[in-house]
Amino acid sequence: MNNDQLSGTVWFILGLAVCLGSLQYKLGTPASPGTGFMPFLSGLAICFFSGIGLIHSTLRRRQGEGWAPVLQGVFWKNAMIILVSLLVYALLLVPLGFVFTTTLFIAFLLRAIVPQRWSVVIACSILTAAASYLIFEVWLKAQLPKGLLGI
Amino acid sequence: MNLFFCFAGVLTGTLVGVLPGLGPVAAMSLLLPTTFHITPVSAVIMLAGIYYGAMYGGSTTSILVNIPGEAASVVTCLDGYKMARQGRAGPALGISAFGSFIAGTLSIVGLMFIAPPLAAMALKFGPPEYFSLMIMGLTVLTFLASGPMWKALLMAAFGLFLGCMGMDNMTASYRFTFNILELSDGVGLVPVVMGLFGISEVMLNVEQSMERSIFKAKIEHLLPTVKDWAASLGPIVRGTVLGFFLGVLPGGGAVISSFVSYAVEKRISKHPEKFGSGMIEGVAGPEAANNAATGGAFIPLLSLGIPANAVMALLLGAFIIHGVQPGPMLVKEHPQLFWGAVTSMYMGNVMLLVLNLPLIGLWVRILKVPYPILFPLILLFCLIGCYSLNNSITEVLLMVLFGLIGYAFKKFQYEAAPLVLALVLGPMMENSLRQALLMSAGSPIIFFERPISAILMGTAIFLLVFPLIPKFRQKRPALGE
Repeated sequence: MNNDQLSGTVWFILGLAVCLGSLQYKLGTPASPGTGFMPFLSGLAICFFSGIGLIHSTLRRRQGEGWAPVLQGVFWKNAMIILVSLLVYALLLVPLGFVFTTTLFIAFLLRAIVPQRWSVVIACSILTAAASYLIFEVWLKAQLPKGLLGI
Repeated sequence: MNLFFCFAGVLTGTLVGVLPGLGPVAAMSLLLPTTFHITPVSAVIMLAGIYYGAMYGGSTTSILVNIPGEAASVVTCLDGYKMARQGRAGPALGISAFGSFIAGTLSIVGLMFIAPPLAAMALKFGPPEYFSLMIMGLTVLTFLASGPMWKALLMAAFGLFLGCMGMDNMTASYRFTFNILELSDGVGLVPVVMGLFGISEVMLNVEQSMERSIFKAKIEHLLPTVKDWAASLGPIVRGTVLGFFLGVLPGGGAVISSFVSYAVEKRISKHPEKFGSGMIEGVAGPEAANNAATGGAFIPLLSLGIPANAVMALLLGAFIIHGVQPGPMLVKEHPQLFWGAVTSMYMGNVMLLVLNLPLIGLWVRILKVPYPILFPLILLFCLIGCYSLNNSITEVLLMVLFGLIGYAFKKFQYEAAPLVLALVLGPMMENSLRQALLMSAGSPIIFFERPISAILMGTAIFLLVFPLIPKFRQKRPALGE
């Protein structure tokens, strides 16, 4: 199986799911399209184009195009660290507040990916949290969460 | 005050363009919430400034570091960086700035003359015409996408589905909200764009080694010589015309314009074999094209209310947030907004020329900020920008989800631009389609009976069928060949 065969299969299943999901809303008639009409059409289109992709990729597979590793030779764990840190930030933002969460977030990333000196980590994280608080909360009145510490 | 916002916009845009990893779409998304407290005119001026500022700034890193600051400057790397290696970074940067200025100014003139009459003509557009125009726009974008067309069409179809999520405008029923309150209004454009373009780009960048080399040669002689001007004038003029008209077309834009301009210059050059080795034409043409496209792209947005590309789609979102509906009535009902935006573009172009030439030294110093320190700031801006829209953690999580999706798209080589355009056009397309079918009692022939709609639909079908004709089917040549 090559990359496009896998992605094409996923898309086809998604398209089917969209079509089936659209049926719970009324499709209506061509003269009077209902709520589910457009989602159903888009689901059909996804199935159609992914079907073309599956045919195209299967032909290329027969010509020798195999699986191209997508995570080989790259520091993919860094990308996953970014993802997890973003999730944790989102979950902690309201309970802990903007300033504290941002400080921790910046400090973590400065150490986790390409470790910086602790002086740089501490200075950058505190300065960034303070500067962004001043710009967004004080100047632009963005109403960022206060959290337990009230800031 | 508007001058201040114009300056803020072009400065931010230039900075965004200089910094790799954050394009104009992401920057406009980040700064969109900051425009909530200013007038619509100022907001549009600032956001527009970011767009064409990014076009200027992107060339700086392309030439100095061989890393495109944003997608429309990819082509500039090919010859611009080679010119820098030959000690000609000055003429490369200089002609890029002057060419962008000339092209940007001329495209604004075009905008002034074409947009009002086009707005008048647009009053003849009905639902079938709007639907056909949007179909054509999506098709053009997918036709010009770099990968297989089926992938781009698939992304467009997925974008249309995402646009269906939320409330149906005609029946007020909710679709595919999964009992999530924030999805009642549909999938927000900002979380999607920030995730697909901002977060995913950072994720990809941190996978690579983050060492960057800055070319250490001294940058001098910023002003091009007479010989440089003689070689560049033709490409600048051609790039301006190409960029302007490609920018007008729904589906066109700065990226496509720069690629097409490079291909044209290479094709008509007496020495095509030298392209890629430091030809100034390879810098002048594409840089002029991508700036001219910014002016052209405003025309369908301001006259018809239809965004020509993902950046204009975001600007359309900004208009709507500020209670302004772009379209044929905009010039009549909000003349101060239209002419204010046009006037600011003139000023913005002058400001950009002033910024780009003397401040090149500063931009190079900013480039020296190591990426391991830069990327957390980019992520933080994405988080704050997304949260501050509606104070919603759900939207932040949605942005992170689309970051992961965008990362997967890039790994499997799917382009996000058709998805974004379809996401914005989807609700309008659905309304137009359903109205047209109601008008025709369900007959799709209506799209071919009306002349304007027939031409637009015919063009879309031609673009879909054209790649299938064996005679014309050829691999898209790599730009360096």
